[in-house]
Amino acid sequence: MAKRIEVKDLDIYYDKFLAVQGVSMTIQPRSVTALIGPSGCGKSTFLRTLNRMHELVPGARVDGKVFMDDQDLYANGVDPVKVRSQIGMVFQRPNPFPTMSIYDNVAAGLKLNSKRLKRSELDDIVERSLRAANLWEEVKDRLPKPGSGLSGGQQQRLCIARAIAVQPDVLLMDEPCSALDPISTQAIEDLMLELKERYTIVIVTHNMQQAARVSDVTGFFNLRGVGQPGELVEIDETTKIFSTPSKKATEDYISGRFG
Amino acid sequence: MREAYHVELDNLADNLARMSSQVADAMERATRALLDSDLKLAEQVISDDSLVDNARADSEEQAYALLALQAPVATDLRIVVAALHAAESLERMGDLALHVAKAARRRHPDPVLPAEVRDYFARMGEVDVRLARRAEDVIRTKDVEAARRIEADDDEVDDIHRHLFTVIMDKDWPHGVAAAVDVTLLGRFYERYADHAVSVARRMVFVVTGRMPGYGGSDS
Repeated sequence: MAKRIEVKDLDIYYDKFLAVQGVSMTIQPRSVTALIGPSGCGKSTFLRTLNRMHELVPGARVDGKVFMDDQDLYANGVDPVKVRSQIGMVFQRPNPFPTMSIYDNVAAGLKLNSKRLKRSELDDIVERSLRAANLWEEVKDRLPKPGSGLSGGQQQRLCIARAIAVQPDVLLMDEPCSALDPISTQAIEDLMLELKERYTIVIVTHNMQQAARVSDVTGFFNLRGVGQPGELVEIDETTKIFSTPSKKATEDYISGRFG
Repeated sequence: MREAYHVELDNLADNLARMSSQVADAMERATRALLDSDLKLAEQVISDDSLVDNARADSEEQAYALLALQAPVATDLRIVVAALHAAESLERMGDLALHVAKAARRRHPDPVLPAEVRDYFARMGEVDVRLARRAEDVIRTKDVEAARRIEADDDEVDDIHRHLFTVIMDKDWPHGVAAAVDVTLLGRFYERYADHAVSVARRMVFVVTGRMPGYGGSDS
């Protein structure tokens, strides 16, 4: 569990268009790494290369290396589906399977991975995952009800429970709170601080205060210029980024001095 | 651009610069009142001190509002935090000038200072006023080198302050205990004033570099 990710000279393409250029970074296990930057700078695109979801877009590809511990994620013969089961993802809008029950939503990943599990084993994992997502107390009496009947914040925690049910090594979160109210946001943030004890967490967020609150390390992405690819400008400890960043572009962005 | 926010930040710095100028004027007048036994001038310093107190209250209010509403970070955050500290130092400088003016008023029409220490106080007054005016410049320009020079200039006041003790401890000191107490206290007021000016300058170094000079690190 909780593996380290090492990215080396990663270029990310949509067909011939170079979207993100030259990203190198190390993401430490048992920590939260936040990626911030203006819209269109490629931070979500970058996030999706970490579990090989980027290539689901036709024509999309990468140059460079991504390692999870010693495993080269883009080596020949690596099964992207296997990678995605090791590196879970939570999206901006909660996306529970609408017709499935709460229980089945959490169990969905396990069933897809075609593990033959006894009902009691499955029950255990569902409960453990819902507890880890701080949702168990709220839903334990209505597990057979549809997941879509939950509030937005609960649905997002359901998606987190679904992501961790398959026991991934890394959890990627793409603006997981942008569709949530402040109370649900706080619940998710608290959850991130608990989950980082066991997982490597990478979060893309537009909320800089959220990055400041939950992350240990912050990376700032920016466009090199209009029509130019995005790049990683600076990555450092979060306290450093928000108190004395090294690059002027970072300071301008976090202080709201842009445009 | 968060236009209104940056205007507020600029206002905060302006307010501090204005306070520096006010406390420089106050010390200049208080020293003249002290040396010339000028009651009217002493009274003016005493009544003007409330302006500095009000400016400090305004600065604090502005700083709190910025913290509460704008969540400043990096340089902006340092400006707000430094402003809170600097406003306090500047208010203390105003109070110290006020103490000097009160001493002049208390002894009026007699002079407070025996002739042999008069020049020391004239000199300390000069240096103190210059330090406060430099602090004003540093607040406006954020010039780190100028801020560091203020620290060096404060040494002259420290030296005079120390020397005054040997003067009054001399067994042939002819002016009695009351005058010795006045000289001791007044010397202390000038020395503290210079120290607070240095503290303001250090806060401005912190705003620019992110490190307080003189506290660990290589920046001291």
